[in-house]
Amino acid sequence: MSNALSMYRTIKRLGIPDSNIILMLADDVSCNPRNKFPASVYGDAGRKLDLYGDNIEVDYRGYEVTVENFIRVLTGRHPPSLPRSKRLLTDANSNIFIYMTGHGGNELLKFQDNEEISAFDVADAFEQMWRGKRYNEIFFMADTCQANSMYSKLYSPNILATGSSLVGQNSYSYANDQDIGVAVIDSFTHYVLEFMEGVGKTGKQSMKDLFDTFDPIKINSTPGVRSDLFSRPLEETLITDFFGGVARVDVVDSESEESPSLSLEEDQVETVERNTTQDDSRTSTSRKHENRLPSTSTTGREDWKARAARTWGAVGVVLGLVGAVVVRSTS
Amino acid sequence: MKLAHLWSFIVLFNASCLCRAQLSEYFDEKLVVKPLKDGKVASTLTFTTVLKNGTPRDPELLHTEDESQHYSLFPLALGQVLPEYGVTEMHLTLNAGKWNYDAWGQPVEAGVGTGAELWAWIGDGALARYASSSSSPPLAAQPSSNNKSSVDARWQGLRNALAGLFCSSLGSLDELRTTSPVEVFRPEGSLPSSSSHQLRHASHPSENVCTENLTPFIKLLPCKSSAGLASFLNPHKLFDANWHGMGVHVLWHEDEGVEVRLTFQTVSDPLRSSYVRKQDWSLESLFGAKVEKACRAARSSLIQVSLPRNTPYSLSPQPTLAENDEAVYDIQSAAAAVEKDKPINVAMNYLHEFQHESEPQSSLSTSGLGATTSLLSIQRTLKESSQSHGQLSVVLRNPSSTPVDAVYLETMPWIVQFYLHTLTVTINEVPQPSSSSVFSNLSYIPAIPHSRPTTFHVQLRIPPNSTLRLTMDVTKAFLRYTEHPPDAQRGWDLPPAIIYILDPDQHHRGIRMYTPTLLVDLATPDFSMPYNVIIFTCTLVAFIFGSVFNLLTRKFVVVSLTKLGTPVTKEKGGD
Repeated sequence: MSNALSMYRTIKRLGIPDSNIILMLADDVSCNPRNKFPASVYGDAGRKLDLYGDNIEVDYRGYEVTVENFIRVLTGRHPPSLPRSKRLLTDANSNIFIYMTGHGGNELLKFQDNEEISAFDVADAFEQMWRGKRYNEIFFMADTCQANSMYSKLYSPNILATGSSLVGQNSYSYANDQDIGVAVIDSFTHYVLEFMEGVGKTGKQSMKDLFDTFDPIKINSTPGVRSDLFSRPLEETLITDFFGGVARVDVVDSESEESPSLSLEEDQVETVERNTTQDDSRTSTSRKHENRLPSTSTTGREDWKARAARTWGAVGVVLGLVGAVVVRSTS
Repeated sequence: MKLAHLWSFIVLFNASCLCRAQLSEYFDEKLVVKPLKDGKVASTLTFTTVLKNGTPRDPELLHTEDESQHYSLFPLALGQVLPEYGVTEMHLTLNAGKWNYDAWGQPVEAGVGTGAELWAWIGDGALARYASSSSSPPLAAQPSSNNKSSVDARWQGLRNALAGLFCSSLGSLDELRTTSPVEVFRPEGSLPSSSSHQLRHASHPSENVCTENLTPFIKLLPCKSSAGLASFLNPHKLFDANWHGMGVHVLWHEDEGVEVRLTFQTVSDPLRSSYVRKQDWSLESLFGAKVEKACRAARSSLIQVSLPRNTPYSLSPQPTLAENDEAVYDIQSAAAAVEKDKPINVAMNYLHEFQHESEPQSSLSTSGLGATTSLLSIQRTLKESSQSHGQLSVVLRNPSSTPVDAVYLETMPWIVQFYLHTLTVTINEVPQPSSSSVFSNLSYIPAIPHSRPTTFHVQLRIPPNSTLRLTMDVTKAFLRYTEHPPDAQRGWDLPPAIIYILDPDQHHRGIRMYTPTLLVDLATPDFSMPYNVIIFTCTLVAFIFGSVFNLLTRKFVVVSLTKLGTPVTKEKGGD
């Protein structure tokens, strides 16, 4: 539990608001009567930091955390009555960070006690997201036993993945708390967080810095990274591209025409009245939509014409070839 | 002179306009602290926001654009959700623990059933055919199928919207748990007479309450949790209480407007953390905070403390007002001006150590601590000796010297079904014939398996100083394989039954009491059986196929060995 909560705390600290976070916790741990410290979940043995805090929003909890709901969140296939806070609501400009932790095996991760999600399901869900233009880049992190198998089946572009252990290897926990009675955090997540504590909202650390800190001896398992599907070099990919939600305000002249750049700078935002909405790893502003629509429609029309011309040209070439063959054979 | 008159007139006119504008919404907050006779302390925080002249949305106009809403104090989230679905009155409670009526008396807010309980009066768009009086429950017009399905669709929308708003799994309060008990859940406010209304009630006893439910609750308050009494909403202390529950109540008063009442009740135990066995408490020990800043948006901000009667105590600081039984602190009065360096921390210290009451529990005795009368003592058990049937037993004890009329309402999910013909009622162990006046007005809506819960409703008359026992045989369902929860061996929680004590004069609203929830153990299959069946079947098929294939396609011949030991082999297999 504290694995996911510590990641949650990190991304909130770096600026992502609750409306852009979907937190799924399968068990109610902090207010469970057996918890000696009510409404608190600690991530370290000395109980210095309460991860549950005073301001937490859990979107899916208890029996709602199922494989079906997880895949529905990713692919966006919801019944119309589902509230907004439970939907992912991303688009083609969004960078998504997906963190999964729990019990796992070779190409599977256990949900509740009676279900499991396989690496193929995850890969297919990501492909559906790619086809539906629901993400710009995905950073997938898994902290389970044999976690590297979870990303072994991915085939969609722009995905960077990391896992905590190789196939056939277990992941281990980091610290036990004698008063609480259970292990409070896992090793891989603990070391990732140790790195993250040094990252601020405007930090310039890159993914390569994070992956360089992976030490199999300290973590007790061999973490892996998969970057072949990722288009950008890791030295230039900032941590805050996925973890942070820093809003950068560009004040533009209202008279000038907006350049319809499908810019991949998710931090860029335009002033919308007085409240600046943050364009971070989950959403884009409505203004951007408005400005983009006319441009995409014109280019769309041109594209359509070009494509139509190409198609007919190709048909003509094929018919010409067939005709040539027929003529040749009859002559 | 004339100019002065004109000027004063302008000033007064502006002032009155401003006052009128400010009176359109007002916000009150109140904390009631009551020491209980078993050493615990019950506290109730109530935050009331009233939108004057607000009206619920007419369900016939749901397809048209709603008027825009601009609120300053009224929570916008509720102000958008409820008109969206045409809901006039809504009550949502999220509680954890078991309310002990015998030791703690009646709660300030009646909704203390464990888990999540949501009930709403939803306008169904049909014209009201019957006038509703204040004493009898409003009769819904005969719902046409259109109206009913529209109300059900809007009920589902309301549930999901509230589930998203309060981070709770209210979406699972679907038709498997929804009933319509209009006799017991009468509207607390008024219902507009322009259309008739239908009641939907659902409860989910195994819902957990935690900080994620408190966070959006705090966001509905004008001052959030930084000023005024809302600074007591500290989850680490609130969820440490022996019993805690939060409530969101939205009503409409015809002469006032729309009222949103947010409540948080706790029963804390000062004896648990005190080194000497004294029931001393203070606001800081109960909530972990003192009032350091007054909420400027509040029209009134009061702390009311019930004073104990029979034991010596001291109360600090000096209350603003002290009547016989209650001391009131007005946070906003000039005398009790709250500043950063002068926070208000009400503390009560007792002279003697705590001792339990030695005399037997008697509701009308002056047991010292406020008017905690327990009208009935209720107990509900499910006796199950096998996995297919059991017996439900409800015991109501009336300790007073006047008879008590109560309605017993049971909304049981379909997994436990009643055998109504085995219903027996005994008064002081004497069985009552079915013609007696003890029970009357029995209404029973049977359950539909996999679909609808049972609604069982009977009016009981319990004589003075006697015990009424109601027993009924029940049968337990056998669930389908996919209906079991992930932890199927735990069992299923059954929602609390509700005892609605009628006021003898029919003038006032009755009092609602909740029994504890029950846990029923249903027959669970061996969940590894599908795997076993597949393995066995595949093995069997493989054996059969292999044998048949071999018999059909291979020819077995006898191999003769020569004397010299070299076998003369013949071709094996078909040719």
